[in-house]
Amino acid sequence: MEKILVVDDEEAIRALYRMELEDAGYEVVTAATGEEALEKMRDSKPDLITLDIKMPGMDGLETLGEIRKRDKEVPVILCSAYGEYKQDFTSWASDAYVVKSSDVGELLTMIQQLLKEKE
Amino acid sequence: MSELRKDPVVGRWVIISPERGKRPSDYAVCRERRREGVCPLCPGNESMTPPEIFAFREKGTKPDEEGWSIRVVPNKFPALRMEGETDRRCWGIYDRMNGVGEHEVVIETPEHERELPYLPLTEIKKILFVYKLRMEELAKDPRFRYVVIFKNRGREAGASLQHSHSQIISLPVIPKRVMEELKGGKTHYRDTGRCIFCEMVEQERKGERVVEENEDFIAFAPYAARFPYETWIFPREHASDYRQIRQRQYGTLAVILRNTLKRLDRVLEDPPYNLVFHTSPLLEGNLPHYHWHIEIIPKVTRIAGFEWGTGFYINPTPPEESAAYLREADLT
Repeated sequence: MEKILVVDDEEAIRALYRMELEDAGYEVVTAATGEEALEKMRDSKPDLITLDIKMPGMDGLETLGEIRKRDKEVPVILCSAYGEYKQDFTSWASDAYVVKSSDVGELLTMIQQLLKEKE
Repeated sequence: MSELRKDPVVGRWVIISPERGKRPSDYAVCRERRREGVCPLCPGNESMTPPEIFAFREKGTKPDEEGWSIRVVPNKFPALRMEGETDRRCWGIYDRMNGVGEHEVVIETPEHERELPYLPLTEIKKILFVYKLRMEELAKDPRFRYVVIFKNRGREAGASLQHSHSQIISLPVIPKRVMEELKGGKTHYRDTGRCIFCEMVEQERKGERVVEENEDFIAFAPYAARFPYETWIFPREHASDYRQIRQRQYGTLAVILRNTLKRLDRVLEDPPYNLVFHTSPLLEGNLPHYHWHIEIIPKVTRIAGFEWGTGFYINPTPPEESAAYLREADLT
């Protein structure tokens, strides 16, 4: 079973993504901060990471930089309620950018596509 | 005492309000730096960018691999899309169209830490050449009316990465600011039969706002500068479109651009800035009333309620003073 690491400081989002991704047949690990994400990444070796941008402490783009120092291959999807970070070229170190909504259809499609490309 | 000055082309008023004893170092901005982690523009990370559109690369190297000196890639997450028609339509008094356009990023060097004015002149010339090539290519698309070339330096000026880069965006409409310049130029031409920009260049050559001049270009602080140390670079010879730049002028433009940016670095201690090419619209040909140029705006003051509310700008450093400081900067 493929493992997804969901990184988001909002508990409700983590719970929503866990439910939807588990229903879609993925194993889900969660982290509430960038620092925790790096620990979970090391311990659970996810196949894909979804990463919120606006988080207290280390934000998503800084976390993305740290992830890429450790692993250039693992697909990362930036998930943000804001589209403005698309203009920040540090976001290019990700594989996709999804504007967050309560409908996770777009995120699920992107996860499937990136995991397929990885195979 | 402060002074009101009017820009002769667009009619914009500015307030030149000198603050006694204000020295260039008082504008030094504490530049915000963020941990960048891995830079997507660096060699070795080509897979993080979309496939390249253009590159100068070493013989035998493949696209989207290392071995390049300048690389142009599309924006990975563009605000405008290449696909589709503009489909302009109205809804009552409101106008709209599809978000069609091309957004490209010019990665100016493989070296992460090396900024544009510290590149060899041959490389700066190549960057200026790439701008023209990309403009020519984008002009082939009949949906586009304008191409803007710009560079942001520093986070305060909108740059998200330290790695030296510039951007090119093609648009299906002509920006309002350019329209204002075109209109001002046209009115003057109709009334006098002369290009107001050519006249401006001639008048500035004799004056105290000159920063540097060579056989093809002049850099000066504009008479009605909106911002401290605002500097414009104009070709001395009339040409309305950047695509008209001649072979020899890449070298002379590279020199004056390099020197002007170095001068700003020396005087304002590496300020954040925006650098924008102003050129005529794609379908206009050579206009007798317009003159392409580069505007460089250091981001050392803030725009607040007065500026937003009135369109006036308050500039605490007279352009004559900023030009004197820039002229005297040590370029060694």
